[in-house]
Amino acid sequence: MSAMAGAPLAELRTGQVPDDQLLVRARAVTKRFGGLVAVNSVDFDIPRGAIVSLIGPNGAGKTTFFNMITGYYVPTRGDISFDGHPIVSMKGDRVRSKKPHEVTALGIGRTFQNIRLFSTMSALDNVLVGQHVHLRSHWWDAVLRTPLLLAEEERATERAHALLDFLGLGARAHTWARNLPYGDQRRLEIARALATSPKLLLLDEPTAGMNASETRDMTDLIRRLRAELGLTVLLIEHDMRVVMGISDRVTVLDYGEVLAEGSPAEVRANPRVIEAYLGRGAAEEG
Amino acid sequence: MSSLIAPVEHGKTGGLPAWLAHLAASAANWPGAYRAQLRASPRRTALLSVLVVLVFVYPLLNRVVLQPFSRNVFPLPVPDDTTVVFMLIFATMAIGLNIVIGFAGLLDLGYVAFYALGAYTAAYLASPHWSGLSILLFSDLPAGFPGIHLPFFIIFWAAALVAAIFGALLGAPTLRLRGDYLAIVTLGFGEIVPVFFKNLVNVHFSFGPIQLVNANLTGGPLGINPIDPPELFGIKFGVINGFNAVYLLLAIVIMSIIIARNLERSRMGRAWMAIREDETAAEMMGVNTVRTKLLAFGLGASFAGFAGAMQASYQGATTSDFFQFSTSILVVIMIILGGIGNIWGVILGAITVQYVDKTVLGWAGNRLKDIGNAIGNPDLGQINPSQFSFLLLGVALVLMMRFRPEGLLPSRQRAAELHAAPPDQALGSAAVMEIEEEVIEEAAPEDVEATAAAPDGGAAGEPPDTPGRTGDGS
Repeated sequence: MSAMAGAPLAELRTGQVPDDQLLVRARAVTKRFGGLVAVNSVDFDIPRGAIVSLIGPNGAGKTTFFNMITGYYVPTRGDISFDGHPIVSMKGDRVRSKKPHEVTALGIGRTFQNIRLFSTMSALDNVLVGQHVHLRSHWWDAVLRTPLLLAEEERATERAHALLDFLGLGARAHTWARNLPYGDQRRLEIARALATSPKLLLLDEPTAGMNASETRDMTDLIRRLRAELGLTVLLIEHDMRVVMGISDRVTVLDYGEVLAEGSPAEVRANPRVIEAYLGRGAAEEG
Repeated sequence: MSSLIAPVEHGKTGGLPAWLAHLAASAANWPGAYRAQLRASPRRTALLSVLVVLVFVYPLLNRVVLQPFSRNVFPLPVPDDTTVVFMLIFATMAIGLNIVIGFAGLLDLGYVAFYALGAYTAAYLASPHWSGLSILLFSDLPAGFPGIHLPFFIIFWAAALVAAIFGALLGAPTLRLRGDYLAIVTLGFGEIVPVFFKNLVNVHFSFGPIQLVNANLTGGPLGINPIDPPELFGIKFGVINGFNAVYLLLAIVIMSIIIARNLERSRMGRAWMAIREDETAAEMMGVNTVRTKLLAFGLGASFAGFAGAMQASYQGATTSDFFQFSTSILVVIMIILGGIGNIWGVILGAITVQYVDKTVLGWAGNRLKDIGNAIGNPDLGQINPSQFSFLLLGVALVLMMRFRPEGLLPSRQRAAELHAAPPDQALGSAAVMEIEEEVIEEAAPEDVEATAAAPDGGAAGEPPDTPGRTGDGS
């Protein structure tokens, strides 16, 4: 996917990309759990077609931020819009948030840090559940097996097989999710997320627990998702080689605040980032 | 390639004519499909065919051969027509409750409430209870006959509709509850409804234009009777035509099986199972969990509506005594014994439990009496096994949980959950991963508030996917 005209994608800071080229625009997003501020007034942009990474030490608020974009957590304050639609908006002092299934319908698909497949359903059924939000048949169609349902089921099943093939799971369509090897489960989660017809794909630590060659495959896959399917990707990842290798932009969160953002090279060189990751001594030596 | 991402298109379908054509084609194709099945799995298909034929022949066999033999030659534990009718009524309920518990994983302990609602709906619409009115429709009763008397095919669906509406009403306030909490609320509902029906007699009530003085709304402990027997095409299916009723119930059970199977294999069925497996993940994948769970409650309840309408119409009377809490538990036991999640399993469970309870125990009591008389010990005849039915059910349940927890005819899911994973499962790196994750989770505290409360709670744990939407600030 092409970056925007003008400055290269990597160097752009939040607020510098024109709004119509943004897929996600988050402003002053805050989330408190009781007395704890998990995410504190974060501004965050995702340009269309970008691969953006969100990194930070454990507990920095990355997953909390993910969960607010998907409507799972209602932020304490803030605005988030996606593709021109408000996901979170303030009305006076009240926060309005879309529900997770509404966000999914708008075009955000996600995977989970700990794999959360429907474990005793087949790979195929997992992907079919992903399509749920775009299917139109009602329960009475199911009871009567109307032509609408029959045609829709046929097309949906066809598409589910195509998605499984795309992810190299074609031969595993009728295997239960929980009986798949670990790497296949990770890929099935992506297939299920793709089934929701997303514009933005949120991947929460997609290479966690993978060896070097599996990690390489996953990195290639993420590149293919953008190149072949035109997706925008937001990544949470701890493996710095992955992050630095595929991201256009990296945002570092620490204690719920944006510590740094910019191109992978800039972020890598930022002393505050080194300090947050390795401690003060390391930053001074560097 | 990006057609992969685009949702499936919704072309025009042919509407009613296409549907009828499809049905006709399926019907025409049936012998071919049957032959194909027979070739694919000959033993299974043959067995099923024999079973189906047996089911249809059995009532006739029972009436012509078994009952006379049992009366005149040697007593066999053969169920009478009423017992068979109730076996099938409970099978209908088991199919419905299986939608709620088996498919959607919502533990509903108040299912009897919908059975009661179905029965009372039928009673209201086909009895002289509302004696101030005289509403007759397709009825051969004389004009001016007191009460509402609607034809059975309307009552049957009305009962299902009422039960479904109340199912959704019960579902609405309980949607945020999961697991045990849901079970407690449904249990309460199951208690309230029969108490309601028992006590709404001599009601004094005034609210605006509504004035009730000593109104008898439900017949109180006496219930409502007489209720018109079911009648279709001039054939009566009441308790005095038990033989006919068995066939009517068979038709209802078959209809229930078809409905439940079709739902299971649809978008809705998949959404129910996704909620059962992981409600949060289902929500994130675009399943409207509120609507989907309401639908499970409503559709599940409608089967109890069918069952209730049959109970009231068949017996010609209904009282709140039919709808004890123990009946809810009985249906839950039926589906557990039979095999939660599998339609055939829960039917088997319902039929077995009813058969043993209503026929075998009584038969065993009589045989004990015979033996006691034969060996000169009449005390043996004092033992009445029917009194021990719940004790025996309890023992059966304990034994099942020990030796076959997935039920007699389990669903594949339950069987897999309750038994160790087969060795061919590729768990290698996943198992390692799970251990790693556990270590990580221990290091990063799960409960954020606890971290915040800790004296030096600097590093805030990432809130993992805690159940439920955290809605503070909204």
